[in-house]
Amino acid sequence: MNPMRDFEEIEHTADRSFHVRGKSFAQLLENAARAMHSFSRIEGEGKNSAREVEVQGVDRETLLVNWLNEILYLEQRHGEIYDRFETSEVNDTHLRAKVYGRCSPGGSHIKAVTFHNLAVSETTEGFEATVVLDV
Amino acid sequence: MLSKHDLVRVAENVWDIPPTFRDDMRVPARLYADGDLLEAALTDNSVVQLVNTATLPGVVRHAIAMPDIHQGYGFPIGGVVATRLPEGVISPGGVGYDINCGVRLLVSPATADEVKPYLEELASALYTNCPSGVGVHGSLRLNNNELDKVLHEGSRWMLGERYASGEDLDHTEEFGRIPGADATYVSDRARERGRNQLGTLGAGNHFIEVDQVAEVYDQSIAARLNIYQGKVAVQIHCGSRGLGHQVCEDYVGRFQKTVKDYGIKLPDRELVCAPFESTEGQQYFRAMACAANFAFANRQLLAHLIRNSFEQVLGGKLSSFRLHQVYDIAHNMAKIEEHTISGHSMRLCVHRKGATRAFGPGSSVLPDDLRDIGQPVLIPGSMGTSSYVLAGTEGAMQETFGSTCHGAGRVMSRAKAKKMVHGAELSRKLESRGIVVRAGSMSGLAEEAPEAYKDVSRVVDVVHKVGIGKKIAKLQPIAVIKG
Repeated sequence: MNPMRDFEEIEHTADRSFHVRGKSFAQLLENAARAMHSFSRIEGEGKNSAREVEVQGVDRETLLVNWLNEILYLEQRHGEIYDRFETSEVNDTHLRAKVYGRCSPGGSHIKAVTFHNLAVSETTEGFEATVVLDV
Repeated sequence: MLSKHDLVRVAENVWDIPPTFRDDMRVPARLYADGDLLEAALTDNSVVQLVNTATLPGVVRHAIAMPDIHQGYGFPIGGVVATRLPEGVISPGGVGYDINCGVRLLVSPATADEVKPYLEELASALYTNCPSGVGVHGSLRLNNNELDKVLHEGSRWMLGERYASGEDLDHTEEFGRIPGADATYVSDRARERGRNQLGTLGAGNHFIEVDQVAEVYDQSIAARLNIYQGKVAVQIHCGSRGLGHQVCEDYVGRFQKTVKDYGIKLPDRELVCAPFESTEGQQYFRAMACAANFAFANRQLLAHLIRNSFEQVLGGKLSSFRLHQVYDIAHNMAKIEEHTISGHSMRLCVHRKGATRAFGPGSSVLPDDLRDIGQPVLIPGSMGTSSYVLAGTEGAMQETFGSTCHGAGRVMSRAKAKKMVHGAELSRKLESRGIVVRAGSMSGLAEEAPEAYKDVSRVVDVVHKVGIGKKIAKLQPIAVIKG
């Protein structure tokens, strides 16, 4: 993996997958949201929007999945697409964040974020994980 | 990684991975494939995913992969795993996010030659009348009470609303209603996501296709199904939309803790499961049944909209074009079924993830008019290629818990398909072959290019040869409608 990249797509036959890294767990979460956004075929338009997000999980992996699923839910619920993500409070089982984007009727075409082979691992440079999305 | 050397050839097109391959396997893994399909399966992680499913608590006989196997998440797509009740587990990941994704086939007494002069108009009417695309809303706005009825009654609710006929229900798996559904276990979020999506197609690989019957392999069974050479048919491929996705997401998330509570060790967190008879297992099953019923109702409403479109375009022009339902099948589902294994009758939870139920002749769960010929099985091909109608067989009952393949199976990632194929060019190519295309997204079209899939004819030939499905007829597309 290119050390300069925060995320990159991994080949997956039927769905979409990306490898993501971050200097901190909070940065990993933000980068994962950006990676997922990069797979959206739709660009937002019109009025800017911002939403507050609070997510729980039983460990880092569930927190990561729940965070990304929460974004997909908000996109579908409000007909918006988010492209900027700012986490505030983050620990292994809880996060608060703000997401920013624009209108996009219908939201993202991604169905869900899976737990397939998911492990958030600590490296000398921070954190990394590989995520598979059901599309 | 697995190689061909890890597989034992059991018979022609039948391969086993013995339980000695990995310590955590409880039963062998079985793969149905010819030489080329086996090579294709070994190029990604799908066979490892198959081996992973052989570790599920309560799994019986063998974990199975059909010749259209490809890499999924948790289970491979094309997987069949049965667990013995009461101690066996149910796994939401073994059903997938699109609960009761499936196919419905309608046939018309009109011939393709009669319909072709009106085909452009018909395709436009179908595209306009059957909402497609991401997050799209349908014409029905259900209140809470009505949504509960859909979740509990499935297609049967449609009968009361005059969107279905008795024949439609008889010719739907489980007669259009999975028993055991309890909407108490469906989250508010899932209800919210599904409420306005009834009667919508969605995006991805979902489609409506107008076909002509190109070849008939078994005249007598085909005639019983109203399938005749040259006649027009319509396929609907879609599922439970946002409601099903949310049910799966809710329970895969919740079961991350449940597996720890029950001390279940798994090679992949997407395989999380719960004992079927446990409180958690029952809650998921009852919620899954709701989503499955929503999907049956969804395809039923789409069938109604398709019939209206035919009436709108062909009414007054052709004398006879009414669409009869051949059958409606699920290919992402967990079902409670009785099967005979080594002479013993067992109650099983059969997970079919990208696999189709294919009950043979004589099955007591089939309607009277189909019982002697076996259950119709619908195998859609990739876009622009053939699709097949099969019949369930006794061989499937004996070997695969009454299951067979579900489609072509991908061999190329969506990203690669988009790089290789341009949507607009593909659309022109299809049009040059006389196939009318109506698509909301050109890049979505490119992702589903036929080059990204295995050859469905080879897949179907394998299941026919090994006797877990019987070829009845082949369909060729004349119009494709996609989100």
